[in-house]
Amino acid sequence: MTPVLDIRDLGIAFGGLKAVDQVSFQAQRHRITTVIGPNGAGKSTLFNLISGALRPHRGQVMIDGVDMTGAAPERTKAAGLSRSFQITSLFPDLTVAENLRLAAQVLEPAGRAFLPIRRSQRAMAKTDQMLERFQLVHKRDELAGNLSHGDQRRLEIAVCLASEPKILLLDEPTQGMSHGDTADTAKLVRSLTQDVTVLLIEHDIGLVMSLSDHVVVMHQGRKLAEGAPDIVRADPAVQAAYFGHH
Amino acid sequence: MHDRLTQSMRASHLLALLFVLASLGLAAIGAVTGDTFYLRLGTEALIFAGLALSVDLLLGYSGALSLGQALYFGIGAYVSALTLMKVPSFWLAMAAAFAASLLAAIIGGLIANRVRGVYFALITFGLAQVFAKVVYNTRELGASDGMIGIPVIEIGFGPFSVSAGSPVGFFLVVLSIIMGLYALTAYLLDTPFGRVLTALKANEKRVPFLGYSVWRARMAAYVLAGLIAGLSGALYPMLRGFVSPELMFFATSGNAVISVILGGVGTLIGAIYGSVLLVILKSIIGSWTEHHLIVIGALFMVCVMFLPKGLIGFVRPRIEALLMRRPQAGPALAEPARLTPAALKSGSAS
Repeated sequence: MTPVLDIRDLGIAFGGLKAVDQVSFQAQRHRITTVIGPNGAGKSTLFNLISGALRPHRGQVMIDGVDMTGAAPERTKAAGLSRSFQITSLFPDLTVAENLRLAAQVLEPAGRAFLPIRRSQRAMAKTDQMLERFQLVHKRDELAGNLSHGDQRRLEIAVCLASEPKILLLDEPTQGMSHGDTADTAKLVRSLTQDVTVLLIEHDIGLVMSLSDHVVVMHQGRKLAEGAPDIVRADPAVQAAYFGHH
Repeated sequence: MHDRLTQSMRASHLLALLFVLASLGLAAIGAVTGDTFYLRLGTEALIFAGLALSVDLLLGYSGALSLGQALYFGIGAYVSALTLMKVPSFWLAMAAAFAASLLAAIIGGLIANRVRGVYFALITFGLAQVFAKVVYNTRELGASDGMIGIPVIEIGFGPFSVSAGSPVGFFLVVLSIIMGLYALTAYLLDTPFGRVLTALKANEKRVPFLGYSVWRARMAAYVLAGLIAGLSGALYPMLRGFVSPELMFFATSGNAVISVILGGVGTLIGAIYGSVLLVILKSIIGSWTEHHLIVIGALFMVCVMFLPKGLIGFVRPRIEALLMRRPQAGPALAEPARLTPAALKSGSAS
């Protein structure tokens, strides 16, 4: 079976700095693959390369066997890849439900684009389903900008999922969350694998170890190690570069 | 679900209905008293309202400030004038203006949409100024004098026809076209297509990651706005019998922006009210003093400071609240019900 996401020898340099250098790994279907590494290791840049926010200087990004290297974000999105942002990026002036519907609109046939929006029943149904699943039903008519940080982070994931992607890239979904919220989010991310393949950036090592099926360790733009969580943790190079700081 | 744009549009539609009724009433008075001056002035205000509408579509919904929207207004006016001088047909002139402003807006959009924000405003400004100067110096287009002698046309609607020379008749034609453009814009904004345009204003960076091309959405908004401006401009020579390069100058673009801000950015109908208000102010204050622009400038500043959402932006939320209250079955009953624990638990009360 082809891996749903296949990263081959990916690289980009900013000036002389190789932000991502010769990174290769695969994400297996319905698994959680986590990218870890100290600050500045190139994790977010890697996500930008995969999602089309940046065009790689070398290497390939294969989504479901199709070469999507350097494709614009709307094209990688169409290929089934959806991403969240480390700094919440919602539509603050739209309500929670409107945020979700905007994302779910891509599920509608093209001919609906010029019919009144209340006719977009599939997008509406998806919105309701997402509100339900992410426990945002009672907040549906609140402006996204007025939500608490934790709710915004959850909505961010819900928006990504509303378009029924194959692959979900989550950039530090628990960033700034309380302990309780983090645990809830972990449970949530685990439940997502029924539908999607998850690629995660996460700082909370406890969470990484308990949640991930596969861990990719980055250090100074390069891949340092990869494997099952406990194997990676035991790797001396990883311990020196990463766990040594903690 | 409560869709805030659908709701606010409903309030705008009520204000649009009010506008049409008021216009019809005034037109009737004008017809009875045999007035020409005020009906023609009102028609001109409506034509410029179309230009303001196109500015509000860009500024209020897709979030792009165009300082050169008069370019497409002027192109519509000139192409309409040229067509009318060859063939005095209303529909042909409108079709020609449509085609010309479509083409011009596509070219202009390809240039202006390479940048955003202040740079977009400057490029649209520059495009309009350059084109206006070209027209200003082209003898075949009448150069600085513009073109005069555009025939008074008969506008045929199936078995009926209206003369553009009839003050009340042409007023009604223009009223229906401008309100038609308003209705079309409002309709499009309330479709999934329109929601992608409004998403640009809300958070453009996120839009491509939802699967929509920002470039395409921006082009769509720009071309649509260009068409609205062009079709409005096409009506101008039918009213005044001449066109001049001033129609493309910054004063025209600037007036449209001022109209939108007076009326309320992002209210659509506010552009139309604002435009009429500006024309009224100009003509009233202009009859007192030659320096009416100073007074209008001061009024504009006062408006921005104390009524930043504009006239309609101030009125509309109150109308929305009224509209919201009506369909619900008795607020007196709904309020306490929401406070019971059961209702809180079920979550989706209201």
